[in-house]
Amino acid sequence: MQLTRLFFDLHLAIPVAIPLILLPGWRSSRYRRVVPVLLFVSMFLGAATTLLSWRTGQLPIVDLSHLLPFPFVLTLDRLSSLFVFLICAVTAATTVFSVAYIERHYGTGQQAWIWTFLPLFVLSMVLVVTAASAFAFLFGWELMTVFSAALVAADGDSPERRHNLLIYLLMMHAGAAAVAASFFLFLPYTHGLTFTQIRAAGGTLPGRTAIAIYLLAFLGFSTKAGVIPLHLWLPRTHPIAPSPVSALMSGVMLKTAVYGLVRFGFDFLPHPAAWWGYLVLLAGVVSSVLGILYALAERDLKRLLAYSSVENIGIIYLGLGAALIFQAYQAPMWASLALVAALAHTVNHALFKSVLFMGAGSVSTTTHTLNLDELGGLFARMPYTGATLLVACCSIAGLPLFNGFVSEWLTFRSFLAGATLPSPVAQIILPLAAGVLALVGGLAAACFMGLFGTAFLGRPRGVAAKSAGEVPFGMCLGTGVLALACVAVGVYPALLLGPLSLVAASLIPSGNVAQELSLLPRVLPILTTCVVGILLLAMAIPRATRVTAIWACGLPTLSPRMQYTPTVFSKPLRSVFAAVYRPNRKIEVLPADQPYFPVAVSYRSERTTSFEQSLYRPAVDAIVAAANQVRRLHTGNVQMYLLYIFLTLVSLLALVKVLR
Amino acid sequence: MTTAAANVLQYLLLVLGAPLLRALIARVKAVIQRRQGTNLWRPYADLLKLFRKEDLVPPDSSPLFRFAPMMLAASTFVAAALVPTVNQSALLAFAGDFIVLVYVLALGRFFMGLGALDGSSSFAGMGASREAMISALAEAPLLLGLIAVAILAGQGNIVEIVRWTLSQNFFDVSAVHAVAFAALAMVAIAETGRMPVDNPTTHLELTMIHEAMVLEYSGPSLALIEWAQAVKLTVVLSLLIGLFAPWGMAANLTLAGLALGLGAYLLKLVVLAIVIAVLESSIAKLRMYMVPEFLGIATALGALAVVFTALLRR
Repeated sequence: MQLTRLFFDLHLAIPVAIPLILLPGWRSSRYRRVVPVLLFVSMFLGAATTLLSWRTGQLPIVDLSHLLPFPFVLTLDRLSSLFVFLICAVTAATTVFSVAYIERHYGTGQQAWIWTFLPLFVLSMVLVVTAASAFAFLFGWELMTVFSAALVAADGDSPERRHNLLIYLLMMHAGAAAVAASFFLFLPYTHGLTFTQIRAAGGTLPGRTAIAIYLLAFLGFSTKAGVIPLHLWLPRTHPIAPSPVSALMSGVMLKTAVYGLVRFGFDFLPHPAAWWGYLVLLAGVVSSVLGILYALAERDLKRLLAYSSVENIGIIYLGLGAALIFQAYQAPMWASLALVAALAHTVNHALFKSVLFMGAGSVSTTTHTLNLDELGGLFARMPYTGATLLVACCSIAGLPLFNGFVSEWLTFRSFLAGATLPSPVAQIILPLAAGVLALVGGLAAACFMGLFGTAFLGRPRGVAAKSAGEVPFGMCLGTGVLALACVAVGVYPALLLGPLSLVAASLIPSGNVAQELSLLPRVLPILTTCVVGILLLAMAIPRATRVTAIWACGLPTLSPRMQYTPTVFSKPLRSVFAAVYRPNRKIEVLPADQPYFPVAVSYRSERTTSFEQSLYRPAVDAIVAAANQVRRLHTGNVQMYLLYIFLTLVSLLALVKVLR
Repeated sequence: MTTAAANVLQYLLLVLGAPLLRALIARVKAVIQRRQGTNLWRPYADLLKLFRKEDLVPPDSSPLFRFAPMMLAASTFVAAALVPTVNQSALLAFAGDFIVLVYVLALGRFFMGLGALDGSSSFAGMGASREAMISALAEAPLLLGLIAVAILAGQGNIVEIVRWTLSQNFFDVSAVHAVAFAALAMVAIAETGRMPVDNPTTHLELTMIHEAMVLEYSGPSLALIEWAQAVKLTVVLSLLIGLFAPWGMAANLTLAGLALGLGAYLLKLVVLAIVIAVLESSIAKLRMYMVPEFLGIATALGALAVVFTALLRR
């Protein structure tokens, strides 16, 4: 216990200490060497704390309430432990990656800036998932927004970036307001806002309050998670952050929203209504389908990955929605299964998306571009990065032997169980949602086949890709460790499912899913053995190899530009789903008077649909119009203002009288 | 012990006999077109010849180019061990969850697409792009159809579903089965690259899908692809037989039972081969952009099958 407590304290104290102690010497290069080491140690201690407290079952508690006007308690229950471990593991790998990455990309000032805020950002995420009082939670939640924005700002300055950051901050604060409101709605029914008190009050809330709390929490957390249509900030912020920060934002920060949703839906409010689940399910369907379709049409590597995060959050929401529905229909076993599915996808997405974002960082380190249409042939030039990215692409496409399959299988399995529920609506909707998941899986496979196949395989399409080389060892190590974890979970899923079933059991005590969870751990190791065995047999076939030019229809040579580009690759699917994009296409043939002998052809295709134009713009316009109307009250006449004050006072008094 | 032996034998029958089925389809087509047709054993001669030839590799390709066909073969051969054919069991019956089967097949397809893109040929890229579209759109109807059947049977394991179907009354076919079969049959056509979605015998670059994808492959790599493709066709057809018409499949491991099972299975395969050949000879290939509509209909049928499972609940 002593040791656990000590580790936990140190884990929390080191990130705070880094800026405080080391700030005086931030210009020295020693600073930049010491900080990653300290951060890594802190992450190691954090992971050790979760493992120790997991094993002993004792919860280390940090209580700073006597120092502050509000109760400020941190603790580590099963759910928190899972998320703290995830944050620590991903951050540790990211730190290893960052050392070389940040040194290569930034000047001294920027480096110090990033190394100052990175530990604080990680600490704020740990605060959110370990908080055991509303104040601590909201404190961490706000800091997380501020520090991540500070890190995004490190990557340069331009009006467009400021605009994007502004949108990020605005949406995050709107979301935080909703979360805060949902906490405060508990107040009339408890004496304080520690989680123990909230939990005690949660079961006895009147129906309407519970609904209001749930809806506000759903809105607040969904903004953080980037669920469509609240995703506006996500594809604007993640691509412009430094790659390791994108990895943390996409891999871990989004997951704090999942944590919050699980906390509210399964811990604080123990009696969900079925429609809460359907709401989450609907959000999941919209986000996953639109997210992957938008990703498919992207050519910027990091924007593509950002949209794919929207999709994966959608898949997590599908699992969460199913879990809530099962919970509402009193089917705790299936609720646990669906919850395990959602949590498993949370962990898996954190692993492979971090690899992908860091891989994007490696690509930009060596090629200085993220435009997929200019890449190609990188696998031969950077084999380690290529191999790790290949693993991540297979994982995100949900292929067996890799971890994405495990969580998608679990989600499928829980949808299938929907057929056993007593309600006909659930019997129809849950299995149909499996069809949506299948479509999303197929589209994701196409998207990432296109990404890896065009950026890493074939011939380089530009000078940048041609002169690319492998990135430093540290960067390969950072991505490599996480990629290994993807394979390990994919081949031996018991690694992940064992702990997750305990987490689910701590939230849904009567749900025993041991039998359902035992299938994959039995199947996948044997399946892997068989696949690898046949592969080895196939490799043993004696064969002579000769390098020879490809079929060129009789032309002397083919230029690399004649290869299929990512844009063309996704063209068939884009035209199938043209209604989603409503593309504005322009083809120009030059010179215009000789259409049959063109010298140059230019082609543009832009998506014209956007939630910004169709949803946010009208809302903003309406608010501005209303404000303009209200402005007429401002006459500039002091007597008039006095009259307003008087009228307000009288009407308030009248209102109070009536309400009494 | 005898079960294991029977499972190994039926597995070997599927994997080694698969090229024969393709030859049979080609032969029936030849008969319909009043051609003489090739020898039924021709695919084996082709495979042997290809295995002995050298592998031609494009100059800028990575090792993945040669790895992809191996992965395709590995995943398809493993998928073949999940499906029951003659006997009411399979080599890896315990792993025969239908979702696992679908995604194991997807594994090979994913790597094949990568291999095609690695060849840096535009035709291969075109094939990969089209194949990616078709398989992305085929995933939903495939799983929906399978889910409908799995819900009826209350099982996720293919062997268990087959056993459940066998325990049902022969004349008690539900609407779910009819609709799910229609959906899965359409997907089977798309997945195995048969008419009217793809023409396996075409060599016109602009209309090829699968053939374009493997255009740059030769020698042992091509042999693996062709073999895996034949096995995949047989696996998909065996799955259809197992789910919708398993009657005759050996329940007990007596010699008579196995002989009956083998006869019934081969008979059903031959019937399916003739149906495919007749279909391919009588209809034209769909235009590329009609294929999504074809799969859209399959998806609608799959969704309908799932809805029916809830409506027809007794």
